[in-house]
Amino acid sequence: MQRNIFFYIQEAFLSTKKNGIMSFATIISLTATLIIVGMFLLISLNINLFLNDIESQLVAIAYLKDDISEEDINKLVRDTSELQGVKEVQYISKEEAFQRLREDLSEHEDMLAGIPENPLPASIEILVTETDFLEEIAFQLNQYNGIEEVNYGGQLTKNLIIVFDFVRNTGLAIISLLIFIAVLIMVSVIKISVHSRHEEIEIMSLVGATSWFIRWPFIIEGFLKGLFSSFLAVIVLIKGYLYYMEKVRMILPFLNISSDQSILIRIAVIIILLGIFIGIFGSMISLRKIRYEEL
Amino acid sequence: MFHVFKTFPNKIHALWDVNIHIKKGEFVFLVGPTGAGKTTFLKLIYRGMLPSKGQVIVDGVNLARLKTSLVPYLRREIGVVFQDFKLLYDRNVFENVAFSLRVVGTKNAIIRQEVNNILNIIGLYHKKNTNPHLLSGGEQQKLCIARAVVSHPLILLTDEPTGNLDPETSWDIMKLLFKINIWGTTVIMASHDKLMVDKAQKRVVRIERGEVASDTRKGIYS
Repeated sequence: MQRNIFFYIQEAFLSTKKNGIMSFATIISLTATLIIVGMFLLISLNINLFLNDIESQLVAIAYLKDDISEEDINKLVRDTSELQGVKEVQYISKEEAFQRLREDLSEHEDMLAGIPENPLPASIEILVTETDFLEEIAFQLNQYNGIEEVNYGGQLTKNLIIVFDFVRNTGLAIISLLIFIAVLIMVSVIKISVHSRHEEIEIMSLVGATSWFIRWPFIIEGFLKGLFSSFLAVIVLIKGYLYYMEKVRMILPFLNISSDQSILIRIAVIIILLGIFIGIFGSMISLRKIRYEEL
Repeated sequence: MFHVFKTFPNKIHALWDVNIHIKKGEFVFLVGPTGAGKTTFLKLIYRGMLPSKGQVIVDGVNLARLKTSLVPYLRREIGVVFQDFKLLYDRNVFENVAFSLRVVGTKNAIIRQEVNNILNIIGLYHKKNTNPHLLSGGEQQKLCIARAVVSHPLILLTDEPTGNLDPETSWDIMKLLFKINIWGTTVIMASHDKLMVDKAQKRVVRIERGEVASDTRKGIYS
């Protein structure tokens, strides 16, 4: 078996060399496909992160009037907890609010220096289970006269989720289409490669090579092309991603862009597996039939 | 072969009720005009095609019942030589012969030994690193024979091996085939080279329009 593997690999390289230009074209187009697939993966990954970010902020904030009594606050918190869709209610006093602001602006303390007294209102933060409830909850809270104003980012969040879902689904459709095309390219390339070596295949079958023996070099050829293309794609993707990530961070610093290595590695693995899959699957399709009769 | 018929899809009858028995170790000429069915006859033996009707039995195996996956193992017992060589011009003489051993997974050391041995016999050992297209026609034909017999097959099928060669070179090839026959390989040679057939004094099976017209021991061409 080991001897055979050397033979297969040798034959695969021979074939790649023989069809130099075709091999080059295949690798380029496969690489391009994989890069595009990888780009979509990275984009949809970041969308996911972003959505998680937003979804964890399913919060309505009710700002309280300064003259509200402690009793009223307790009642308010109690009543709100009983509303549908409410997960958690938290009272934030004026002091706590100011403390938070100070922490948020810890790098710019001079900005607070000019403020003589605490200008922030007390508030209650209501964590809801789903964006759909935000509107109703806000309406209910507005009925209380101890409440100054209710804020929530509901509609925006909802719209964003719709847009991103659309982007993600379109991306998925495009990825499927691209993979399909890549397999077709691989099929025709291996067919050409089979054709250019039909004499050798004929002789192989005449001297008693099994059909799998004849197939293996082509499968390895597909595998190697897939592997090589995916390596190229991964290099381009990671280099490109890291470069653009820096740029985007500078322009839009509030966006949560992932630079987590484990995620990049995961995407690299996906791309490489995909490349190998396209290579092998494409060769298998074009080799379904190696015939013994009437060669 | 028993009552073998072969009809192609275009209704041409290539072979019509052919009955013939070839014993182990025989040397048989298959003669007849071009298009008489000689090549079809050979193809039926190595299962390059199946008969439309009748049975072909090779070494006790009925080829019609042989599973496709077992065809390679039949072919390992049969060497085939064509008029148009079918050599691989992207590798040297040694590798061309070694090819038929490599595809059946023979060990490198044995390949080297067997290939060198057969190249010595056909007299091409000194050209083993040459590309086959630098060889003469006769040398290329010998190389094909070497590739066909390096694995010691039971049967050697040759289709017009002397077709394009001058008489002297042809006789050289014939001598090589006799030698192989003496080692025990059954040789079936399709030919319309009258000179060689008459000179050889072997069994001659004459095929005309797909039928066996005559079958003579120590026969002559016509």
